[in-house]
Amino acid sequence: MRDRLTLSMRASHLLALIFVAAALALAAIGAASGDTFYLRLGTEALIFAGLALSVDLLLGYSGALSLGQALYFGIGAYVSALTLLKVPSFWLAMAAAGGVTLVASILGGLIANRVRGVYFALITFGLAQVVAKVVYNTRELGASDGMIGIPVIEIGFGPVSVSAGNPVGFFLIVLAIIMGLYGLTAYLLDTPFGRVLTALKANEKRVPFLGYSVWRARMFSYVLAGLIAGLSGALYPMLRGFVSPELMFFATSGNAVISVILGGVGTLIGAIYGSVLLVVLKSIIGSWTEHHLIVIGLIFMICVMFLPKGLVGFIRPRIEERLLAGAREPAAPSFTSAQLEPGSAKP
Amino acid sequence: MTGPVLEIRDLGIAFGGLKAVDRVSFNAQRNRITTVIGPNGAGKSTLFNLISGALKPKSGQLLIDGVDMTGASPARTKAAGLSRSFQITNLFFELTVAENLRMAAQVLEPKARAFLPLGRSIRALAKTREMLDRFQLGHKRDELAGNLSHGDQRRLEIAVCLASEPKILLLDEPTQGMSHADTADTAKLVRELSKDVSVLLIEHDIGLVMDLSDHVVVMHQGRKLAEGPPAVVRADPAVQAAYFGHH
Amino acid sequence: MNALDYLQFVLAPQVVNGLALGVAVVLVALGLTIIFGMLDVINMSHGEFYAIGAYAALALGAAGISFWFLLVLVPVLMVPLGMAAERLLIRPVFDSRDRHVTTLLVTFGLALVVEDLLKVAFGPNTQRPPTPIPGAIELAGIIVPNYRLFLIVVGAAIVTGVAYVVYRTRLGAMVRAAAFDRNMAASLGVPVALVYAGTFAFGVALAGLAGVLLAPIYSVFPTMGRDFILLAFTVVIVGGMGSIWGAVVAGLLLTQVQALASLVISPVWTDPIVFGTMVAFLVFRPQGLFGRLGHA
Repeated sequence: MRDRLTLSMRASHLLALIFVAAALALAAIGAASGDTFYLRLGTEALIFAGLALSVDLLLGYSGALSLGQALYFGIGAYVSALTLLKVPSFWLAMAAAGGVTLVASILGGLIANRVRGVYFALITFGLAQVVAKVVYNTRELGASDGMIGIPVIEIGFGPVSVSAGNPVGFFLIVLAIIMGLYGLTAYLLDTPFGRVLTALKANEKRVPFLGYSVWRARMFSYVLAGLIAGLSGALYPMLRGFVSPELMFFATSGNAVISVILGGVGTLIGAIYGSVLLVVLKSIIGSWTEHHLIVIGLIFMICVMFLPKGLVGFIRPRIEERLLAGAREPAAPSFTSAQLEPGSAKP
Repeated sequence: MTGPVLEIRDLGIAFGGLKAVDRVSFNAQRNRITTVIGPNGAGKSTLFNLISGALKPKSGQLLIDGVDMTGASPARTKAAGLSRSFQITNLFFELTVAENLRMAAQVLEPKARAFLPLGRSIRALAKTREMLDRFQLGHKRDELAGNLSHGDQRRLEIAVCLASEPKILLLDEPTQGMSHADTADTAKLVRELSKDVSVLLIEHDIGLVMDLSDHVVVMHQGRKLAEGPPAVVRADPAVQAAYFGHH
Repeated sequence: MNALDYLQFVLAPQVVNGLALGVAVVLVALGLTIIFGMLDVINMSHGEFYAIGAYAALALGAAGISFWFLLVLVPVLMVPLGMAAERLLIRPVFDSRDRHVTTLLVTFGLALVVEDLLKVAFGPNTQRPPTPIPGAIELAGIIVPNYRLFLIVVGAAIVTGVAYVVYRTRLGAMVRAAAFDRNMAASLGVPVALVYAGTFAFGVALAGLAGVLLAPIYSVFPTMGRDFILLAFTVVIVGGMGSIWGAVVAGLLLTQVQALASLVISPVWTDPIVFGTMVAFLVFRPQGLFGRLGHA
């Protein structure tokens, strides 16, 4: 038995495959032309895509808008930087960043999950803002300057190793990690536990009467989202060689929210497309005026008002129809063709 | 097990100064239909909220199958075998009919399957199919619950409650807003259900109540006014005055 | 330095400055809380409307218009701006499934646009209009700048006036009725659409007025709204979303806590302390100090 939400997820996977294929093609072109700048920009876009992915997990599935997801991204980046300054090991840095963000997101979740809706948005906003201010004022963490001079590391996979300084190699590693995080999240969302999250967004008040703990589900998704953000953030100092308090600021969280809205809320892969789209938009508009926020803000508002399911939300139903047509032939259960989108129904 | 499936002892709650439910006691017997009636504002829905864990009682005790469940959360009450419907249809409107049922049936699965692919939830999927057939919703399985007709939504609401194989089914005005034909169908359905499950019902349609119930509890201004078999309750002068007098 | 000197030269001025800041925050929070209480809308661009007010005062003041006239002119000019924002951005999404999140996102987009537009129009640098009332007076041995004293008095008058209109007049009753039950109010002949637009515009005008009043003290720069908004939101939450008196009490209290904390502990920790208060309120008393407007 296959259902609509699974079908939607399959459509997302198809878009994910297209994304990976395009990324590999660009990496090949980049490698052939000896480019560094665009490969590094692309790597950065992927790292921020991880942050956007975590925002979509919260907003698109459990229905909680986090305005401070950069908090965990920043924590991951700082922990990774601190680790790398002591021991230049990729795996250790990732493990440390993962461990610390896990603890931090459990603490943050205990606070933020006491409230919901707009209060959740404001509390996550405030949490990030305050930690960012503290970091900004802590000399041991480089205060407002952040920390520079993070060594270029070798990333070992058994016998082979790739330098983080190799634009193509590191791009591919980051691509693999971000798509791995996407795959893990997508898998979890299509399990019975993941469906409880979808149910939370659809009608939170009904969930406890079906026997599920709302708190536990919300907490799980919050911690998972924190972890995804933290692991993505851990990659940042490896790419750029520095970290700064800006990584935790509202602008970073806000960019992730913009990416999710542009790409499509509740589609997961939309967050990744959205991040890349945002970087592309910024560099195109940026080549023409430094005031790109006017244009991006306008596009964002138009998306919220008229295209609430974003780019992927617009494309995906068409893919679903194709998938459905393909699945029909071998005596599959019948689907009604209209409205395949899980969240597209009227209130 | 013998003995009542649901025991309510001196259950009470007050909002401000108003005693919405005032020391109400009664039992619901296994595989019987027990109906709570009373005029609007008598405290019937509040009583349901107390029983299902939506509200915590200020006084009294609640036993499900002999186990004390006083003040337990809705999720715990559910785990103890109690399923409830709502007076105002309360479904996942933007999910499909099948997914609404599967969500409810998912509790039948062992905990270890929570993180396995959905296809491994064999019992839940079988239960979903069973419910689709039993409630004649099979041809609408992929419709969004929000797009169903009112009657279908009310039926789905009952199906969702039943999909988790509860011991006790609390139905809050299941025929609310239904046509005559649908009401008759629902009555038939409830009677059929009571073969496997104990039913606690809130109902306004007095004819239906008298016809369907094994046991009737009458509430008035937060208190229990009377209880007994339908015929006895109907003859009770206090009930006549407080309740039937209003009709 | 002995205790009395400390009181006179360190503590008291700090308390007075805190009071001026408190009034400032209350003025900004006032519009925010009214818009939330009446319309159930989170206006993330409120800080930017405050900035627009400040820039309008700066530009028009430079063009030779007197500060006293600006106190009336700028809020009046903000009204059509607020009306337009409500009509074009809020109303189309007002009935969406999750009004809070959708309006929050739309106004967040607006904030981005406005902030950048201010940069385009006025440049990124900090500017400061001249103080309309120079000098200072001595009150019980404490030196108080005249303009701050003026701000405290005018701020108190504005808050009282707004509260009077909302709680005591027929207009206020109509607005509260519309907030409480839109359909019922409409059936009683309340022009609901106009009331909503008007309420939003009123909140925006208050933000603009705050901008005019605060520009001479806190300077004018494109991101000024963003820096103020967390404090304003904190005040609104602690006071109780939608409660005018809550905003006043919370605004004055929190800014005093902030002023004293920066003196006793360190300015670095003022934000965590203020925010910690917000968290504590959200966790233990989410309705804030006072209930909410129109929903009491």
